[in-house]
Formats: sequence, structure tokens, C-alpha cells
Amino acid sequence: MAGKILTVVETDAGRVRDYSYELVTLARELAQATGGTACAAVLGDDPVAAATQVAGHGVETVYAVKDPALAAYTADGWVAALKKLIADEGVEFVLFSHTPLGWDAAPRLSAVHGLPALTEVVAVEDGGKVWTRLMFNGKFQVKMSLEGTPAVVTVQKGAFAPCEEQGDGAVREVAAGLEPTALRQKYVETTSEPAEGKVDLASADIIVAGGRSLGSMEKFGIIKELADALGGQVGASRPVTDAGWLPHEHQVGSSGITVKPKLYIASGISGAIQHIVGMKQSGYIVAINKDKEAPIFEVADVCVIGDQFEIVPALTKAILEARGHG
Amino acid sequence: MKIVVCVKQVPDSDAALAVNADRTWIVDSGINFELNPYDRYALEEALRIKEAGEGEVVAVSLGPARAAQVLKTCLATGADRAIHLKDEAFQGGDPWANAQALAAAIRTVEPDLVLCGFQANDDTLAQTPVLLAEMLGMPHATGAMKIEKTDTGVRVARELEADRREVVDLPLPAVITVQTGINEPRYASIKGIMAAKRKEMKTPGPADLGIDPSQVGAAGSRLRFFDLAVPPKKEGGEVLTGSTEEIAVALVKRIRENTGVL
Ligand SMILES: Cc1cc2nc3c(=O)[nH]c(=O)nc-3n(C[C@H](O)[C@H](O)[C@H](O)COP(=O)(O)OP(=O)(O)OC[C@H]3O[C@@H](n4cnc5c(N)ncnc54)[C@H](O)[C@@H]3O)c2cc1C
Ligand SMILES: Nc1ncnc2c1ncn2[C@@H]1O[C@H](COP(=O)(O)O)[C@@H](O)[C@H]1O
Repeated sequence: MAGKILTVVETDAGRVRDYSYELVTLARELAQATGGTACAAVLGDDPVAAATQVAGHGVETVYAVKDPALAAYTADGWVAALKKLIADEGVEFVLFSHTPLGWDAAPRLSAVHGLPALTEVVAVEDGGKVWTRLMFNGKFQVKMSLEGTPAVVTVQKGAFAPCEEQGDGAVREVAAGLEPTALRQKYVETTSEPAEGKVDLASADIIVAGGRSLGSMEKFGIIKELADALGGQVGASRPVTDAGWLPHEHQVGSSGITVKPKLYIASGISGAIQHIVGMKQSGYIVAINKDKEAPIFEVADVCVIGDQFEIVPALTKAILEARGHG
Repeated sequence: MKIVVCVKQVPDSDAALAVNADRTWIVDSGINFELNPYDRYALEEALRIKEAGEGEVVAVSLGPARAAQVLKTCLATGADRAIHLKDEAFQGGDPWANAQALAAAIRTVEPDLVLCGFQANDDTLAQTPVLLAEMLGMPHATGAMKIEKTDTGVRVARELEADRREVVDLPLPAVITVQTGINEPRYASIKGIMAAKRKEMKTPGPADLGIDPSQVGAAGSRLRFFDLAVPPKKEGGEVLTGSTEEIAVALVKRIRENTGVL
């Protein structure tokens, strides 16, 4: 029996998030390969408008799963509603984005079906029998297959192109049938971290960023010196701000700032996907790393394989000389 | 509060890794290992919660004999006792099989709270704790940047993208995964290392935990991994070679020609 391929749509203030359209691309690809049908679910207290947006993107049916208890995300709410939908509709694949919602709900939904999830995939083959993901922070890729259905999948953001508008799917309102007292997590609020506002990486033209391997706040000084020589700003990977060598507002990446300078120099940064998504749109990328296999080299225009403690000071000196200060 | 911390031993961040012969995992001989960085933050959080009241911190790890090292680190850092699932039957499992074994061990502790890392730096699957929560019948929350005790349970600030956080209340017992940066992990003191030698480290096998060996390890796995490889390189950038000085001069030239900022 060819089953349904269900995209779990995420919305932000009522708007469908772009990532959800990337999932629809995958859903349609899987539907074609398996003879199944691509459908989608929007969960909320008022999901119909967002469901209507998705219906014009080549899915057969968009389930508008409506319940006051779905006004905000909770793992228990999402899992209970989706479990019912999967059972009622004969779903074979469930697709989430690998986002704070996806990585929270997907493994729980697979677990209630007695299965692990296929997390953070980047590619699929063979009608959903073989999936590819990265491991070891991007150093390796691996293929994986899962015994059993439904296959619950989280998909790395950007791994598939967002789908075009196409066709005219149906929106079907369904009741979630939730028992509010059975939902153990209670949503309180969404907050924003206040920034100190001393740096504005988002509008910087030049960023020199350093990583964990600098080793200490003192040794991080070579990054600051290079940034000063260039008249640029200082960026960092997450371990640097976690360790308090720099305030959080210097962190580039998925849980930090997305930057787009004319020049981005990454020194001693491995290039985990969460860092890459924050800087890959930079105009010109220079990467310095002692490991020639470091994933950062995949997005770099210029690759320097070597020791940052030699290269960075030498570059600082060469820049100062070139600018006539040396 | 009685708190379980799940900790995994993973290859050191700077270890040079190679693919094994059947391309299912890395070659794990001849490299250094460390306590998964995310788990170090989970341990610290557990110790702080314990110190704010009273209770016990129990570190649990599934892994081969060498994984005893990360449990020793936990004991030396302040955990009260440890459970090491080192029986051969537990090894080689997927997150499902590992969660089965961890759940059985954790049930013997009857904790109020289970803290885990957000993900393990080797497989980076970010799902074992959530599977574990379902098996234990506990609610869960992932990616905590703040955990506070409330009258009815805990209040957790989950990290979202771009500096936003989602605050949720959970009743206890619960499973929570911790993000890096939630706290500043302490390191073991000499006194702690000495004291650790007297602390309990149990090594129960499947029979002691009442588990059928076919439900754990490779036998109990539902996810199969194969074809581990270095990802194909994209149309790469230019690689600069030469002496440090030559590279520096070449970099200045490239930056000048391509960016307009010099
Ligand atoms: C949900 C989530 C959100 C995240 N958000 C972010 C984010 O916003 N930003 C972010 O950066 N990360 C983020 N991360 C963390 C990310 O996964 C990586 O762990 C992190 O980016 C790694 O930082 P790093 O490159 O500095 O360290 P590592 O990965 O440890 O890399 C160190 C690198 O330094 C190189 N090196 C060592 N010594 C030298 C030397 N002497 N000279 C030259 N090179 C050297 C090594 O070869 C290695 O490549 C997030 C993770 C998760 C799970
Ligand atoms: N073998 C293991 N032993 C103990 N804890 C584990 C093990 N595997 C995973 N965990 C816990 O689950 C978290 C997420 O792991 P993973 O799902 O593999 O990314 C880790 O940070 C640990 O807290």
C-alpha cells in the first residue's frame, strides 16, 4: 500500500516558515518515487489560513488540525495530535524540519510508534529506504535505513530547495481531539535575549572570526589584532561565547547572528553546519585550519591549511605593511 | 532531588578520525576520547541543582570499558555514584537500543530529573534523550538554556533560533537536554579526584536489569548505518601553499582583488 507523506508545517506569527516549503519538495519527490501522496499538516488554534497558503504548493491535502490547546507548541500536544492523524490517514513518512520544534517533537512521535527517528537528513534515495546525514560535526557523511513505519524524519534546513507554487490542494479541517489535562508541558512565553548592542556584526563589511581551538581568551587576541588591522569586527563560533571569551553577540551561526560581510575570515573554526548557515552568504571567505578535511573549506574561496598561530599574526603584519602602517 | 545525568564518551574534538573497514563507524583505536562537551554542561547543571537543595547525582553511561573514564571524571567533579553499562550485549546499538538500556538502568534509580546533553558529538543524532523520555513515561524538553525549580516542577527556557527562547513548565520527573553555554562547567579538583576512588560504580548486565539482550545493543537496533565516508568536496576554493610569509602576501593580494575592502 502506498501511503501518505506528511509534511509537518511550521508557522511563525501565522506565516508559513520557508523551511516547510523545503519539506514539501522532499514530500513530492517521495510521493513520486513511492506512488504515495504528498500531504501536509498545520497545527494550531486557528490553522486554516496557513493551511490555505500551503495548499497551493503541490500537496494533495492539507490537514488543518485545530485545537485551542495547539495555540502554542508543546511536545505532548503536537505528538498526540499527529499520532491520531497518522493512524486515521495511513501515513508512511512524517517530515519535520530540524528546528527547535522538529528535534523536540520528531523523536517523541517516532518513539510512540516504537521507533527511533531519522534526524537531520540531507538527502534521500530509493524511495525513502536510504537516507544520508552528516556525522562527527560534518567531518563524515553516513547512510542510514530504518526498519518499520512510520518513518519520522527531521530534515536539515536548506538541504532541499523550497517548492514552487503549483496546483490546488484541498484544506481539510480536522479536530485534534486533545485532552488538555494530558498535556504535561505548559507553554509560558517566548522571550528575546537582550543584546548589549556594542557590536553590529549583521552590518559589518569585514569579520574575522575565531573558534574553540584558539584555546583561551588571551590567545584569542591574535584574532582581534587581525580584525583591528583590517578595520573589521570580531566574530566567533559558539564554544568561544559559551566559554565567555567574548559576549554572545559575537557568535555567528544558527543560534547567533547571520552575517553577510564582504570579507569573512574563519580561523580555527571546523565549519559545523550551525556555523556555516550563519556566514555562507559572505562575499569572500578565507578559511584557516590545520585539518585539510575541515568542512569549513567547502564554503571557502581561499583555503589555508596550516597553524593559525603562525598564519594569523603573519597576515596581520602583511596587512599593516600593505596599508603602509608597518 | 535525585538527578540522573546521562554521559557519553566521544572522540576528542581534535582527534584525527578514519573510517573503519566495513564503513559503519570510525576506527576507535589510537585516538583520544573525552566526555561529550554537551554532557559536561548537563553534569554541571545537575550539580548546581543538587547544591541548591539536597539530593544525589547519579552519572550513567553506556559504552565499552574505556568509557569508565568519563564516569570517573563525573565522580571526581562531584557526582555521587555511577552506573556503567559496559556489558558486551549493550554495545553497538542505535539510539533506540541505547535508550532501552539507559531506561532500564535509570528505573533502578527512580530519579526526579534526568539531564542529558543536547547531542553527542560523534553521531550528533540528538534523539536518545527524547526516546528515553517516552520509554520512562516522562515529559521532556530539549535544548535548555535555563532550568529553574518551581513549586510544581521545573521551568525550562528552550533555545530557539536567533537569540529567542521558549519558556515551558514541566512537572517532574522529566527528561531535559542541555545546551552548551547554559552554565560554566567546573573541573575536577585534586580532592575530588581522590574522593572519586571511594565512590560507587556499578556495572549491571542485562540480567541484573531484567532486560532481554535482544532488545539492546546491535540486536535491538532499528536504525542501520552504512557507507560512512568523507563528504564529497564541493567545487572548492583555491588552496594557498608556500611559506607562512608567502601565504600572507598571497592572502593580502586575494583580499585586495576580490573584496574591495583593502
Ligand atoms: C542547536 C545548535 C545550535 C548551534 N549554534 C551554533 C552557532 O550559532 N554558531 C556556532 O558556531 N556553533 C553553533 N553550534 C555548535 C556547532 O555544532 C559546533 O560545535 C561549533 O560551531 C564548533 O566550534 P569550533 O569550530 O570553534 O570548534 P571545533 O568544531 O572543535 O573545531 C576546531 C577546529 O580548529 C582546528 N584547529 C585546531 N587547532 C588549530 C590550529 N592551531 N590552527 C588552525 N586550526 C586549528 C581544528 O582542525 C578544528 O577544525 C550549535 C550546535 C547546536 C546543536
Ligand atoms: N551511550 C550513551 N550513554 C549515556 N548517555 C548517552 C549515550 N548516548 C547518548 N546519550 C545521552 O543522550 C544525549 C544525546 O545523544 P545523541 O542522541 O546520540 O545525540 C547525549 O548528550 C547523552 O546525554
